[in-house]
Amino acid sequence: MTTSSISSEILEREPEQRALVDALDLVRRTGHGSLVLVAGEAGVGKTTLLRQFATNRPATTRVLWGSCDPLFTPRPFGPLLDVADALGGELADVVTTSATAHDAVAALSRQLRDQPGSVLVLEDLHWADEATLDMLRLLARRLETVPVLVLASYRDDQLHRDHPLRLVLGELTGNPALRRLGLTGLSREAVGQLARPYHVDADELFAKTSGNPFFVLEALAGGDAAIPDTVRDAVLARASRLGDQARTLLDAVAVVPPFAEVWLLESLAGEVIEGIDAALTSGMLVATGGGVGFRHELARLAVEEAIPPHRRVALHRLALAALGHPPAGPPDLARLAHHAEAARDTAAVLEYAPAAAARAEALGAHREAAAQYARALLFGAALPPAERADLLERRADACFITDQYDAGIAALEEALAARRATGDRLGEGDVLRQLSNFLWCPGRVGESAEAARLSVELLESLPQGRELALAYHHLASICVRASQWQAAAAWARAALGLAERLREPTIISRAFTVATISEFVLGSGDDLDEVLGKAQRLGGPGEIAHAVDQLVEATMATHRYDLAARYIEDGLAYCNDHGLELTRLYLLSYRSRLALDQGRWTDATEAAELVLGIRRTSISPRIQALVVLALVRARRGDPGRWPLLDEAWRLAEPTGELTRIAPVAAARAEIAWLDGDLDGVDRATEATLELAVNRGAEWHVGALTRWRLRAGLDVDADAPMAKPYLLEPDAACELWLDLGQPYEAALALAEAEDEKTLLQAYEQLQRLGASPAATIVGNRLRERGSAVPRGPRASTLANAANVTARELEVLQLLAEGRRNAEIASTLVVSRRTVDHHVATILRKLGARTRGEATAEALRLGIVGQTR
Amino acid sequence: MPRYIVERDFPTGLHIPVDPSGAAICTTVVKNNTEENVTWVHSYVSEDKSKTFCLYDGPSPEAIRKVAQRNDLPVDRITQVTVLDPYFYS
Repeated sequence: MTTSSISSEILEREPEQRALVDALDLVRRTGHGSLVLVAGEAGVGKTTLLRQFATNRPATTRVLWGSCDPLFTPRPFGPLLDVADALGGELADVVTTSATAHDAVAALSRQLRDQPGSVLVLEDLHWADEATLDMLRLLARRLETVPVLVLASYRDDQLHRDHPLRLVLGELTGNPALRRLGLTGLSREAVGQLARPYHVDADELFAKTSGNPFFVLEALAGGDAAIPDTVRDAVLARASRLGDQARTLLDAVAVVPPFAEVWLLESLAGEVIEGIDAALTSGMLVATGGGVGFRHELARLAVEEAIPPHRRVALHRLALAALGHPPAGPPDLARLAHHAEAARDTAAVLEYAPAAAARAEALGAHREAAAQYARALLFGAALPPAERADLLERRADACFITDQYDAGIAALEEALAARRATGDRLGEGDVLRQLSNFLWCPGRVGESAEAARLSVELLESLPQGRELALAYHHLASICVRASQWQAAAAWARAALGLAERLREPTIISRAFTVATISEFVLGSGDDLDEVLGKAQRLGGPGEIAHAVDQLVEATMATHRYDLAARYIEDGLAYCNDHGLELTRLYLLSYRSRLALDQGRWTDATEAAELVLGIRRTSISPRIQALVVLALVRARRGDPGRWPLLDEAWRLAEPTGELTRIAPVAAARAEIAWLDGDLDGVDRATEATLELAVNRGAEWHVGALTRWRLRAGLDVDADAPMAKPYLLEPDAACELWLDLGQPYEAALALAEAEDEKTLLQAYEQLQRLGASPAATIVGNRLRERGSAVPRGPRASTLANAANVTARELEVLQLLAEGRRNAEIASTLVVSRRTVDHHVATILRKLGARTRGEATAEALRLGIVGQTR
Repeated sequence: MPRYIVERDFPTGLHIPVDPSGAAICTTVVKNNTEENVTWVHSYVSEDKSKTFCLYDGPSPEAIRKVAQRNDLPVDRITQVTVLDPYFYS
């Protein structure tokens, strides 16, 4: 009896199989895609489960199989390469050329739609490269319209806190297309059943293996009465029972993960390849697509580690030579770099690692690019300083995109020293600019400004070129972030003039963007749409994203929410389509702030929760989201606002940057005021108000001054303040309403002395669901001896049909004939949320169908005619 | 998971009939709750049925409000609470 036949029943995992069958059924019936995450420790049987499912599937189901490989630095799009091989067509073209995850997903989706009900297996995602993870993230977002069952497996015990897969899993949470299957080890009973024919001590077997199926089977297959102590011992015991030829062959296969092509094996093992049958029969190796591989990575690792070091190096050398001249197609650069390092071949590492990095960059796998550059640098200690500096700068670029700020800063500091050592002044100035940009993101603002200043100073002393234009533009951007709009406009104009002379289209686009938005804030520039037009004509996605980001920053800073709303929503759609994750994060944080200010608190919390679910080093979006969530809780009177605000303050305060600090300070003041803690208002505002006054930031000065006034503290009435903060209650209220900020409007009214206005403020606050502020105003009314009305609840005030504000938005889209999926993506909420809203709307309108609901809503005048 | 007391006002009184329709109401509420990972532990109802104090486990106050809206239930105050057991001290 072989281990495979006894094991099949016990390891088949009936309920998990059924779950997969049901999931596939659902995809076939509904046409909506689904993603099942299969998680468990190494050896628990994830692959076995997936293979079993693939074997038993209906004959008409196509299964596409892709595995991530355990190379030190994985190949970009590793699993997708296998899938593209099988699928051919557009996807194959895309992944072999330089395409981004976005292009790959677009191609894959089109091909999957042509074969509805296909299964896509992505194995071992804990090893996935960045391009593959981006692909998964984008595919998950559009599963609604792609009829595929995606089965993604990973080892959940190996995901450390900052593992890139963990970030993706965090983002997937809440996706309605997501299911999870967690696999655990075998029970004591099951182990006993497996052990019975072998006459081994089942209790000892269970104790040693903890029920890990791979370990159990390997231990039994070794055939000894003594149970090995570790997986490694079990594997090696089993291997030692094979003949010498087969052993030698195992060694060769072990050094070339994930599997060895036959032609490669011939180069590595020569005549010993005869042993292949014995190794396959033993079950240690399995035949895969174009060669053979280990049945399990745990076995490969055990065998590889047992190869004597000199022999291992020799094998890697052979692999390196063979892979350099494959029988067909171009050489695989990532595999070459891997073996070059393992063979300790410096020249080969310096040849292949930078090439592999460039390839990874072209495919959007920046994390792998950074690692390949690091590999080259490790072996490139003796490179000339200029070449080394080139590699360092390229590594820093890749680090920047992947949020590895400390590593990037270290690389740039070394590059700076190298440029200085060679007397390369131009290079030195350019590195200083890059360093300045790097230092800002994690909040090292002072050093960042200093580096930017030095860069401009140095480059101005040299003949004018591209580097100086970039340095001017960068300095302008730093000024924008510091709300120094006058200086921003001036530097941006300098950059623009130089870039135009040099005919540098992308710098022209970026400099024009910064110049125009700065002038807009200063009250002179007006044609904001031309910013987008120019970015589209002169630049690529990077320039368009930059333009959107700056437009939002300027319109939010000036409270032009009508414009901001449009830029945010259009920008989010663009970023979603093009996989621009960092800009998307910024825009989501602005969406949450906008919704808060506009009194749409549930929308605000939904956007803020999205931002907080994505962990990145860039702190600005996180600070903004924390502030929004804290304020919504405080305004509703809900618990848990201080921990959020404390975290925001911890992040913002050390940066010394007004745009990051002031919103947190204002929120702290507001919450202290709501709590009746007037000293708290003083503490929250004092230092920041001084900073805001120094910067002439009139909106921040106004907001902070107002909280001090409300708390009865002393203020400097002559400080420059934005208009609504200077007006009497009635006029201020009018202006706030014009700006679209109802809560601010109500608070303005609450400062009035007369009963009628206070009553009005009270009612507005009730309507917004702002009970703590309403209570404060109510107490003021009672002090005056006035009766305080029992306010109707916010949710019952929307209109005749009792439809809430959010439901109204859904209803409007529904009336335009949009499907739930479209409504979900328009409002950026989950599909499930929309389903709920629609069900509630039908009930409230007493309608059976969407058509009836639309007709009833039109009759009641709740929605307008289709736009 | 944090625990909350949710206070709800029902000016005209809360009436859940003790029959299949009442059971259906409770089932719907519980089902909607699970989708936001919210658990309704139990409630205390005032004598005149105009106010309830509901004990909930949930990930955040936002989740409590979200399901309240789906269930068409008012929320007047959410307080985060921990257990104090008087007999623990003796």
